[in-house]
Amino acid sequence: MFKDLDPLLHSQLRLAVISILIGSEEADFVFIREKTNATAGNLSVQIEKLREAGYISVEKSFRGKMPRTTCRITPAGISAFEKYVAALNSYLRPK
Amino acid sequence: MENLLTEKESLDLIGQMINTAKNNLQKGTAKIILFWGYLVAGFSLATWVLLENLPHETRYHAFYLWFLMVAAYPFHYMLVKKIDRENRVRTYIDGLMNRVWIGFTISILVVVSGMLIDSLIVNTVAEAVKPGHEFVRWFHWLLLVPFMLCLYGFALFVSGKAYEFKPLTLGGIFCFAASFVLLFSLHKTGVYGVQMFALFISAVAGFVIPGHLLNRKEKKYVQGS
Repeated sequence: MFKDLDPLLHSQLRLAVISILIGSEEADFVFIREKTNATAGNLSVQIEKLREAGYISVEKSFRGKMPRTTCRITPAGISAFEKYVAALNSYLRPK
Repeated sequence: MENLLTEKESLDLIGQMINTAKNNLQKGTAKIILFWGYLVAGFSLATWVLLENLPHETRYHAFYLWFLMVAAYPFHYMLVKKIDRENRVRTYIDGLMNRVWIGFTISILVVVSGMLIDSLIVNTVAEAVKPGHEFVRWFHWLLLVPFMLCLYGFALFVSGKAYEFKPLTLGGIFCFAASFVLLFSLHKTGVYGVQMFALFISAVAGFVIPGHLLNRKEKKYVQGS
């Protein structure tokens, strides 16, 4: 039987953000924007959706005089990602 | 605007994004490796020269030079802060390696401070130190350099393997070998001079050469440069 794919993760940009964060302890907004080729506005919106769902934590700080937004995946985000990948596998390799 | 994916596209995207930070080595890592490499190489070479040239009764004062190493830590801290400002991603490997080097520093501090306390305080009042046998107060210092080289080897080998950067791994193996060989020369005359020279060569092989190679290959191994 096919499992439902988490709609929050089943979108290109949000899945890209979560995938970067699953492989990193932390990544800042500029790094994620460069790697995803997203616009700053769109990325901000998608990051906020992931934060509201409790999948990532977002920390705003200053490094020197420059503002910096750092993102980290949360345990809820890791769990959601694992379920999402398991669901994908059930689609690609149905029993 | 949301862009929905097929299942295969999703898996491809996950793989592609996870690989963005794979083999990441934080920008500026080479600077720290070179900083400590040149420092240890310089200090060990200077100690070796002093040991060879000072009069016999004062030659071991050459080791007091190493107390100056404490002054290097503020510069190390400033370098780390600068790297932290410049880097935009930290992988789990970066985090783990930072902790390995912190553990390395703590190990060295524990052993050196323990030996200093033992030599300067405990053994000066111990009955075990009989007249004419004062050398036992300093005897355990013979093992310090082989022990340090083993720790260098461990930290360099793990870092090299984690970052898949062969020069660091080879530097670690060189330090292991130097440590092993030095353990066979403990009873030889002039052993401290030999140890300082071995430390100098190991600092060059384990830190200075890999540090410069890393600088050259920074574009390949370091994210965001």
